Amino acid sequence: MKMKIKAIAVNTFKESARNKMFYLLVFFGILFALSSKLISFLTLGDAIKVLKDTGLAAINFFCVLIAIFTGINLVYKEIEKKTVFNILSKPVSRDQFIIGKFLGLALTMLTALAAMAGIFFLFVALSGGGFDLKIILYFFMLFLELLVIVAISLLFSSFTTPILSFIFTVSLYLIGHIMWTFNEFKLILRVPFWKYFTQALYYLLPNLDKFNIKNEVVMNTALNPWTIFFSVLYALAYILALLAVTILIFRKRDFQ
Amino acid sequence: MMPGRLLVAVFLAGLLLAAGVQNRYDTTVDYFANRDTFVSLPSGKTMKTLSFGYSNLAADLLFIWSIQFYSTTYLTNRFDFLERVYDTITDITPQYKEPYIIGSLIMVYEARDIPMALRLLDKGSRHNPEEWFFDHDAGYYCYKFLKDFAKAEFYYNRAAAKPEAPAFIKRLNAHMVYLRDDHKVAYQMWLEIYNNARDTLEKDVAFNHLYQIKAENDLALLKERIGIFRRQFRRWPATLSELLSSRLLAALPGDFAGNEYIYNPEQGTVSAARVFKWKRP
Repeated sequence: MKMKIKAIAVNTFKESARNKMFYLLVFFGILFALSSKLISFLTLGDAIKVLKDTGLAAINFFCVLIAIFTGINLVYKEIEKKTVFNILSKPVSRDQFIIGKFLGLALTMLTALAAMAGIFFLFVALSGGGFDLKIILYFFMLFLELLVIVAISLLFSSFTTPILSFIFTVSLYLIGHIMWTFNEFKLILRVPFWKYFTQALYYLLPNLDKFNIKNEVVMNTALNPWTIFFSVLYALAYILALLAVTILIFRKRDFQ
Repeated sequence: MMPGRLLVAVFLAGLLLAAGVQNRYDTTVDYFANRDTFVSLPSGKTMKTLSFGYSNLAADLLFIWSIQFYSTTYLTNRFDFLERVYDTITDITPQYKEPYIIGSLIMVYEARDIPMALRLLDKGSRHNPEEWFFDHDAGYYCYKFLKDFAKAEFYYNRAAAKPEAPAFIKRLNAHMVYLRDDHKVAYQMWLEIYNNARDTLEKDVAFNHLYQIKAENDLALLKERIGIFRRQFRRWPATLSELLSSRLLAALPGDFAGNEYIYNPEQGTVSAARVFKWKRP
């Protein structure tokens, strides 16, 4: 079973890595991260703070783009090109297919992130920011966020078209970063039903801002280890839930 | 088909014509005639929400824009939006320290609005309670521009209580107490600084202040007693010791260095060897 998942994961990784879009986004991610130096020249005071801010934001943005673009196409392409028949006609279950796809995408994200993060980490050090280990922690948290995004895009990719998957995933990504407003919104609601509905949405939708520790990294403020621990647990639980739904949907799909 | 040379000629002629038209247009327009501007910014909270997790970047870009905007000196009403701009930036990321410092500098030196600067620095201090420099800057502006030494003392006192406050904040605090004429408390504060000085600079500064405070107190007393002496004996005392023999003084005070004060018997004036004019208006 492990070998089959591994084979699908490796194949998914190779397929993603062959995609020119992947290289283009990684290239632009690095380019924008390095051009943060230019923006830092324009500020007054702590230029390293601006350099880190803009660089991390650029890497974050391009990694999210990679996660969405590779994720939304993956399963859909297999179905469209009918290659899914080849795979599923072999002794590979649909569950193994989805898990393999997810792991392959996770490996793709890890590669892209490692390339961008490694270069940026050295760039910050050479620019006078020193070897800031908090940046590594930031990239770890970003990787968790990317895994959640990959799982979301995989879910949509399993039952709808790439354009709709893109819209749904981007919407969830944006909502996921303003989840804190739900708590405030709840306070102004008077009807109990809507209060509970908002509360339910708050727990149902992915809270991606949980993984955002840019402020702590850039401002060099204290990081609560419990926050990190709960974020890791949250990511694992959410990914498990998303994969379970994806598998359930994929099991019921009738490929014609 | 159009020959290549003709195409080049058309290209050059086109460019020349475009430049000519632009030049002609520029002579009819005064680009700097409109010296009014308008800035409309959503609230910091809205900006934070709309930045979707990139709030730090949003604050950075807004801050960089504000530096360029407030360097555009021909915009005469640019200060109308000053507080709003820096409030928005600091609402997005309250821990971002530079906007408080740079914003208050613009408010003080460009807009000449000290209370506005104090409001911004108070906000900075509230959101970054461990940082001493917001209170230090606020204290300096109160001292330098408002001449409100009590308020300056309040800020310096608060700054001095911060964990990483440098030693000179305590000295500034003591100096403010001296400037608002509470000599007794100021002397005690400077004495504590003098006794716990960690380097010669600190010791020398404290020494000068102790010298000055003691001299001001002693000279005021001596001048008063010399005046009484003159009223009683219708002449100036020949020496300061005469104040002792006439029982106007129990003991002759000396300066902080242990020297006697300089007395002029012809004019009845008394002075110290060193004078620091810290209370000049």
